[in-house]
Amino acid sequence: MPDSYLVHVAGAMRSYYKDFSKYAKGREPSQKVAWVTSFTPIEILDALDIEYIYPESYAAVIAASGLEQPLLEESTRQFLSCDCCSYSCCFEGCVETGKGPRGVPPKPDVLIATNNQCNTLPGWWNILAKRYNVPLIVLDYPGEFTENPIARAYVEKQHKDFVAKMEELSGNRLDENELAKRIENSIGSVAAWKRVCACLKDREVPPTLLFDNINFLITARCKEETALIYNLMADEMETYPECDKSLTPLFWIGYPLWYHKDRYLTEVMDGFRVCGSNYITWWNLDYEGNSVWDKLFSAYNNTFLNLSQKTKTERLSDIIAASGAKCAVTCRNKSCKCDYVSAKNVGIPQAELEVDMIDREYLDVERAGKLMAILKETVN
Amino acid sequence: MKILSMSGFVPEQICDTVRFTGFDGGERLSHYCGYAADFISQVREDGSIDGAVFPKSCDSSRSIGSYIDDTGKFIYSMPVPAVRNAESVSYFADILKDYKSKIEKHYGVTISEDDVKARDAVITARNAKIAAAYGKLNVLSYASYIHEVHASLNAPYEFDESRIVNGNDGKPVFLIGSFLAGVELADCIENAGLKVVADNMPESGRLASRAGFVSSETDVYKKIASEILCTRPSPTQDLFDETIKSNLEEIRNKGCKGVIFATQKYCEPYDYLFSVYKKALDEQGIPALRVQMADSTDGNGKAAALEAFADII
Repeated sequence: MPDSYLVHVAGAMRSYYKDFSKYAKGREPSQKVAWVTSFTPIEILDALDIEYIYPESYAAVIAASGLEQPLLEESTRQFLSCDCCSYSCCFEGCVETGKGPRGVPPKPDVLIATNNQCNTLPGWWNILAKRYNVPLIVLDYPGEFTENPIARAYVEKQHKDFVAKMEELSGNRLDENELAKRIENSIGSVAAWKRVCACLKDREVPPTLLFDNINFLITARCKEETALIYNLMADEMETYPECDKSLTPLFWIGYPLWYHKDRYLTEVMDGFRVCGSNYITWWNLDYEGNSVWDKLFSAYNNTFLNLSQKTKTERLSDIIAASGAKCAVTCRNKSCKCDYVSAKNVGIPQAELEVDMIDREYLDVERAGKLMAILKETVN
Repeated sequence: MKILSMSGFVPEQICDTVRFTGFDGGERLSHYCGYAADFISQVREDGSIDGAVFPKSCDSSRSIGSYIDDTGKFIYSMPVPAVRNAESVSYFADILKDYKSKIEKHYGVTISEDDVKARDAVITARNAKIAAAYGKLNVLSYASYIHEVHASLNAPYEFDESRIVNGNDGKPVFLIGSFLAGVELADCIENAGLKVVADNMPESGRLASRAGFVSSETDVYKKIASEILCTRPSPTQDLFDETIKSNLEEIRNKGCKGVIFATQKYCEPYDYLFSVYKKALDEQGIPALRVQMADSTDGNGKAAALEAFADII
């Protein structure tokens, strides 16, 4: 019987959630715990045997479980504005009430936030720091907004300081060979994930599968088994039948709608097929360079949302062209000011939909349907 | 050279800029700070503006460049450090030098170190005068004071306390928030029988805190960088705890009976700060009122809420 990726997925999920309250049942984690944002250099944490937990991802899981509304309401009682990122509102409700599909994550020993995707996350992490009274470390990534040599020296110094702090927390010494091994694992995960993404263009692959399974590239990219999962997944997907070429190929620009059973608006997309998405490429980090420090700088300073508009437009246009899309859905996400504008000047007709990735009540399906009908008329 | 600048993170010591205070513009972006949108409008619509400089410090400001990069004007997105330490000061000093060289290249001018030092002396003197007036807010009219502050943010950077009128008596309050673009709010506060005796506003309390800052840096760029980064912090510097502690101390010392939290709608740094700030105030039994402004010209229409707040405290 061929090895299935699903077996490895189950193992990876068990490993990630082992210390959440529903499964730990009062047992303390065996490792120190960091709560991290989704573009944190986790290779460092993994090499130092520190467990890392992703509040953003858990907010997505909460919404996918249909439990987000009471938690969003609770966050407003905690004086958190509903204008804030819904990931933060949903998660704040979870930790305040102790309710979540897998309980609550193990308490953090340290909070680590980065600003290489947005500036919201450090703000959110500040309120977590007040709640748990634990150290907050903010890693500052200038991105493409700074001349490269200035940014490189600044980021490298921060990474080295970060290592020293994490060594102190964990009581372990960093072995640079172990760090290099984690980085190689991440490179392997990205390469394997790209194989998976390539299947979306021509095969009968439900986009839902990619929106859900990118989770491992986010939460476990430096683990050895992640590349294995994705290569097995790609092997399987490459055998899927060809997609229906009579449908209009459409590119999804924006976050998945985590509350939606399909993660995108299937109910208003008759006649279209999703052939690409920018979200599923965000963690295709580029670990360029010779030393581990160069590689970490390249990967985490130059994340997609930390690039100039010019570079973002070029990259997004290339991805769209490679997907063969003739049109796009562009999500004006209430929770993210940074992503929407990426879609400026991509050169294909777009339907702009007002959405939120967590709060299902934010969407007007009827209006979305009308906009999609207009898009269909424009394209055909 | 007429560069529109946004935020106290942009140094006034490098060259003259036009500090953005408000613009009734056409750009309206959903879920986006109205103040930042008005800044974008002015850069796009005001033909007399030939450049823009703004920080990469919040979600709205970090994407401003995306909305104006096709204008052909001088555009500088300043990556302000999100952390405060010796390395971030050195790094920010390098950014300031980069900003200077980009201006020189774009406008074909030369800015010498002596120029920067001379400008620094002017700005330091202006800040000292603002700090002196800030210390007299128990007497001065806050509305009159803030008008004078705003005028002093542009060349020739003169601040004249004698132009500020005294205020009426009122219940003492503390004001915190983003730049007070809608200055009418200050009038509304006073008309409601309240008196702002201290604040944590970028153009007032935060600027005044720079006057007392002593830098050990001999390099002028490092001196400017440390003054901007190491004085009273912005919420974008991720020092909520320090902000709350120091504000509570000032609130107690100046006998404030309440706090007005005045921010722009969709301003996430203050939205996050508010959630923990409000809890800290509640623990101390200090009433708080939150007022949100839709954009840079929205300073009116808060009278009823302010009067009700005055009654409560």
